[in-house]
Amino acid sequence: MNKKQIAITLGVMCFLLTIAICVQLRTMSSASSTVSQTLSDNGLRDEVLKMKEKYDNAYRELENAQKELEKIRQEATQNDSTSEAKEQELRENNILLGNTDVKGDGVEVYLEDAKNANSINPSYQIIHFGDIQDVVNELKNAGAEAIEINGQRLVNTSAITCEGNIIKINGERVGSPFHIRAIGSQSLLYGALTRAGSCLDIIREYGNTAEVTRVDDITIQKYAGSITYKYMKEDK
Amino acid sequence: MIFIAIILGCIVGALIGVNMPMISYSYSGYLAIAIIAALDSVFGGIASTLKKNFDLKIFVSGFFGNAILSILLTYLGQKLNVDIYLAAIVVFVGRMFNNLAIIRRYYLDKWTEKRQKNKKVEAKEMTKK
Repeated sequence: MNKKQIAITLGVMCFLLTIAICVQLRTMSSASSTVSQTLSDNGLRDEVLKMKEKYDNAYRELENAQKELEKIRQEATQNDSTSEAKEQELRENNILLGNTDVKGDGVEVYLEDAKNANSINPSYQIIHFGDIQDVVNELKNAGAEAIEINGQRLVNTSAITCEGNIIKINGERVGSPFHIRAIGSQSLLYGALTRAGSCLDIIREYGNTAEVTRVDDITIQKYAGSITYKYMKEDK
Repeated sequence: MIFIAIILGCIVGALIGVNMPMISYSYSGYLAIAIIAALDSVFGGIASTLKKNFDLKIFVSGFFGNAILSILLTYLGQKLNVDIYLAAIVVFVGRMFNNLAIIRRYYLDKWTEKRQKNKKVEAKEMTKK
């Protein structure tokens, strides 16, 4: 057994070891920055992280299943004229509900908090949920057919809420800068937002950024959740 | 020579490890216990090199065998709802301290020997004068 061989083996082992340690350190630092004192807290944190992982996996599975369902539906209706009409109706309803990715011309509104806060009241210099609601209202009033805010599709159950210092849309956090994209008549949408005294003017008053641009061929993602009902019935 | 190889391995490993993809959180517990087992093997390897009874086969099989065995035991413990990994940690860390003690004693002995030799030489020179 010569020394060279020993050195090489030990070197290779240390190499593997440090790789494993680095991977572990990165995983742990991404999981959480603080380790709590008590064992039960640690256990709960563990559970939360595991549940989150499970949720992500389940969501991916759901997406795959939806794709498969779509395919099966198409195959089933290929040779049948009545079910083809039904299929058409289903597709249109899905587009209206926000269950499909849609494409079309429209506008993009860009809102951002003021960069240099120099006002007496810093509250004026951030985008509030009310500002977003105003923009959305204006867009809807001007005939927007599909609206998306930072990747969150607005559907009939969507709510824009203020939760302390964060804004939630569809229950998901969104933050500045906001990209609000809407599909609809470009001239109507653009005109509604650029008229004198429009909601963007009010947002701009204290130094916040608010811009609107015409964008051709916007793709808006489908709603990520599911729309269900429990209490309402059809009135015959 | 050996320490240069170890340091080189650590540096290259750290550079590659930083750019590796992260593993999912549920498996990080298993990786942690494997790291402890491997760390123990490396210290054991260094100690046995110093004692001049290093065996490549024992070292490599210990490195991978201990890591895999501890992962399996952790898995079994989770299924049985017993924290078996605690036992693995106690054993491995205990052995790590043993091996560190061997390494420490080896270098302390070397150091005291050197000093005694120097003293003897000085004493001889004094008598000559």
